[in-house]
Amino acid sequence: MVEAAIALRVRALSRRFGGVAAIEALDLDVQAGETLGVIGPNGAGKSTLINLISGGCAADSGSIVLFGTDITGLRADARTRLGVGRTYQIPRPFARLTVYENLELAARHARRGVAPASAAPVQETIAERCRRILTRTGLDDVAGTTAGSLPLLRRKRLELARALALQPRLLLLDEIGAGLIERETRALIELIIDLQREIGTIVLIEHVMDVINACCQRTAVLASGRLLTVGATREVLADAQVAAVYLGTGERVPAGAGAPAPPSAPPSAPPAVLLSVRGAEVHYGGVRALRQVSLELRAGECVALLGANGAGKTTLARAISGAVPLAAGTIEFDGARISGLAAARVTALGIGHCMEGRKIFSSLSVEENLLLAVPPAAQRKAAERLQRAYAMFPALRQRRAHAGTAMSGGQQQMLAIARALMSEPRLVIFDEVSLGLAPIAVESLYESLARIRASGVAMLIVEQNIHRGLQLADRAYVLAHGEIRLSGTPQEIRDSRELRALYVGEDAATGATAPAG
Amino acid sequence: MALPDSAALLQALVSGLLIGALLALAALGLSLVVGIIRVVNLMHGELVVLGAYAAYALVQLTGLNPLLLAPLAALLVALLGWPIERYILQPVARHGAEAPLLTTFALSIILQNLLVFLVGGDTRALDSGLGARRLGTGAVSAPLIYVIAALVALVVCAAVHVLITRSDFGRRIRASAEQPDDAAVVGVAVRRYYALTFMLAAGVSGLGGALLGMVFSFTPAAGVDYLLTGFAVVVLGGVGSVKGTLLGGLGLGVAESLGATVLGDGYRLFIGLVAFLVFLMLRPQGLFGRRT
Amino acid sequence: MNAARKPLLIAALLGALLYCLPFALGPYWQQLGLRALQWLTLAIAWNLLAGYCGQVSLGTGAFVGLGAYACALSGNQLDAPIPVQLALAGLVAAGFAALASVALFRLRGLYFTVGTLALAEALRILMVNLRTFGGASGVVLRAATPAFHQLYWLALAIAALAVLLAELLLRSPLSLSLRAVRDDEDVALQMGVRSFRVKFGVFVLAAFLMGLAGGLQALKLGVIEPYGAYGMSWTIDTVAVVIIGGLGTRMGPLLGTLIYVALSEALRNLPELHGAVAGVFLLLAIRFAPRGLWSLVARRPAHG
Repeated sequence: MVEAAIALRVRALSRRFGGVAAIEALDLDVQAGETLGVIGPNGAGKSTLINLISGGCAADSGSIVLFGTDITGLRADARTRLGVGRTYQIPRPFARLTVYENLELAARHARRGVAPASAAPVQETIAERCRRILTRTGLDDVAGTTAGSLPLLRRKRLELARALALQPRLLLLDEIGAGLIERETRALIELIIDLQREIGTIVLIEHVMDVINACCQRTAVLASGRLLTVGATREVLADAQVAAVYLGTGERVPAGAGAPAPPSAPPSAPPAVLLSVRGAEVHYGGVRALRQVSLELRAGECVALLGANGAGKTTLARAISGAVPLAAGTIEFDGARISGLAAARVTALGIGHCMEGRKIFSSLSVEENLLLAVPPAAQRKAAERLQRAYAMFPALRQRRAHAGTAMSGGQQQMLAIARALMSEPRLVIFDEVSLGLAPIAVESLYESLARIRASGVAMLIVEQNIHRGLQLADRAYVLAHGEIRLSGTPQEIRDSRELRALYVGEDAATGATAPAG
Repeated sequence: MALPDSAALLQALVSGLLIGALLALAALGLSLVVGIIRVVNLMHGELVVLGAYAAYALVQLTGLNPLLLAPLAALLVALLGWPIERYILQPVARHGAEAPLLTTFALSIILQNLLVFLVGGDTRALDSGLGARRLGTGAVSAPLIYVIAALVALVVCAAVHVLITRSDFGRRIRASAEQPDDAAVVGVAVRRYYALTFMLAAGVSGLGGALLGMVFSFTPAAGVDYLLTGFAVVVLGGVGSVKGTLLGGLGLGVAESLGATVLGDGYRLFIGLVAFLVFLMLRPQGLFGRRT
Repeated sequence: MNAARKPLLIAALLGALLYCLPFALGPYWQQLGLRALQWLTLAIAWNLLAGYCGQVSLGTGAFVGLGAYACALSGNQLDAPIPVQLALAGLVAAGFAALASVALFRLRGLYFTVGTLALAEALRILMVNLRTFGGASGVVLRAATPAFHQLYWLALAIAALAVLLAELLLRSPLSLSLRAVRDDEDVALQMGVRSFRVKFGVFVLAAFLMGLAGGLQALKLGVIEPYGAYGMSWTIDTVAVVIIGGLGTRMGPLLGTLIYVALSEALRNLPELHGAVAGVFLLLAIRFAPRGLWSLVARRPAHG
């Protein structure tokens, strides 16, 4: 019967969050027994899709059919009883239960009735199943440990183990490979391939392309909430369009943007070091988000920070701003140590931050958002600075009384940039200004950034889009897995062989054949 | 439970509106704390009652009219607000969501019991010296003190509204309410503004209490009722919005007044609680706005 | 298995000692013992609800009051014997909790807490105003107050029941569901837990136990009125006992009760300060020992 061969059928699925379409009119079929990869840039809607399928959030419209049963209106626990199992991108164990108890809970609520076509014996007690899964996922030795005290890799395994204890017919894995180093990724791939025979149908969201290559027969690509394409993994990854969505290399290169124009005749002595990061380490719940990162930025320089999703660029930017504490290492600004200071203090010392995701306050108007960034001590100069901001971005003047977020993405980005300048900083960090914007809008923004650069302010530009990031930079660093892997002039970076590998994964870049999935 | 005639209903409506303005003022502090600092302040009622007692103490001390002393009473309560927020509430913010709640609960117990210990549990009232003078015609009139208190309440609410929507202070606390981490990166000293907000909230609550003390009698145990009335107003009108709080207060005042006229005076607060519970079920997100 | 048996052994020992109390000590200590047993019962109930299931309720007064009134009225109107009075006390409280659940559990976290507070207060006002239940002057029990040591043994039996029910619950697989709902309700749902049923069950059980304590109060006082029966002091005492002893721990209620009793005795001559000092202790506990004093006393083992 044809119906039984389709594990999951999604039709016209849509979900909006406050005006933004997270998923829009999505149609997707997952074949029974296949492992489907789901990839896409930040904000594409991948996690939302998992949430919609698992029941963690309700769809606005559309339908979801699981092995022939319509589950669209069912609550999460009902779907679990029908055979859906999932992991969370950021592990959410039951922190005060032990590892064993986490599994036991799931095992007790496992799907009743139809046994999976698998190697596992049908008649086994709860305890036997838990022990078996613990051994399988290498968690034997921590069975009695409180889940909340586990390091990240163990937590990810626990996520997987717990989902397995549910005996799912459909397993949804959300970025289970994120934050792992190469050795750990290899082990994970082996585990997933091993599981494929047992579970049957798996949907795998990933950024780590090695995992997608090794485990998935087919891959779907999401962008801006829509399905871009779906097909055989090798073909999809080699597709130029997909690469463009990720790397931004598909964009039209503006004339004369080869080498960045220097602001003025280069001075004979190099300018003083303004920002110095040495051996920075940031730990997020057990994972080393930044490992021994060191970089330097001189007065008036424009430095680019590049790297794929999850590489640690934003973490580094936030560490510099003081929003995230360092576990080790130091950051100095203008000779004074700023690591360990509160964020507001760092801003007061002269570092402006145009944050990733813009972070415009919707309860404040455009003008209020701008005025907010003027330090209390400089209130008298507020009006003057406001006029300069409007001169740079006339569109903001027109919308000065509107709510900060009642504008297009591009205009909000302008507001974020202008806001970062209101405190007249000596260094401005621009974090992913091109995120989610059309090329034309991005171009216009970069023209503004060029003007800012010309004014002599030091800039740190964080960009996933290599081309854009290198456009204005004097120097650049490329991060991967929390470490700096490349550094040099824009030309050196562009010419580097390693670059594509760092973004799209070793196998895809070198074209090596993946093991049969 | 006799059905009252239209004149009595009209009278109830007018009294309700006037009391409602006062209730709004008394609830404004809670609206600010819940809306800006995102803490369910279970000691709110005690701050209100403290305002009444502060005014009472000042009257005993100076012999002046409580109407004149009310602002000073409010100031005293406001000053108490700073150390509470800065040194007792902020340090427990990182222990999870229940810790601040239970801490304010503990504080409410302490305050209430201290009051009983210091001044005794007897019922007291503030004498505004206006006696039973009424304003208005025979059919619809209101005690003069209601009118004056309501006017003061309206003026103060308006002033707070202007402060929040037009001043730099207001911008900073609104940004801190929406996203404190992002506000910090933009340069706002969030913790200082939280403490200042709490001071403002305490002061406004104290003023409300002092005025209420001239209209109704009070005991140290009255705090719970003002807390729950405050919640009812805030849920009805929306958190963090002065206009909403005012409307909520007026609405609740009228509902309570009508309820008391129809069902009997003992049910005054009951109506408020029922309204609160019903609204909480229907629109729980109305209480906490954007963030869950 | 020693670690699991130990609390049970301690409890059994204490139980035996407590049973003998009336023979050994005078009425003053019996009074104290009675109060302690009431607090213990309430603490165990609240600990299950808030500590193990994560539902912080501030409405203890509602259930104690309902239990007290049910006990008094069933005695007066139906001439029921004491065991039936107490059973009704528990059942009426449990029934009310069941009804309220439908509405209350639409609220999560802090909203739920405020909702329970409002409910308790609304109930108190209702009872003050309804003539049928005696209004503000309350209800006088027609039957004579039972002999003190009899009350004491009833309290002991109720406390023992509370301990037993709590232990049964915590040793059963349901304990996993409870704690999962506490740790992360959304993920619990995703793992197949029917979270509403779980919360409902604990809430009703806790209410039942609180009702029993309330029934006991009615029998003890011989007269009940709304301010005392439905008052906030029940909630305050219960929360303080559990937090000080250790929220979500097995020994928390017992340890907390002992400390609280000691505290009450120390402040015996200053009854007005009792509440304030309790509040200060609660504050300090939240700030410096968020897992309760038990966590400071018991050494934390290397693995969970």
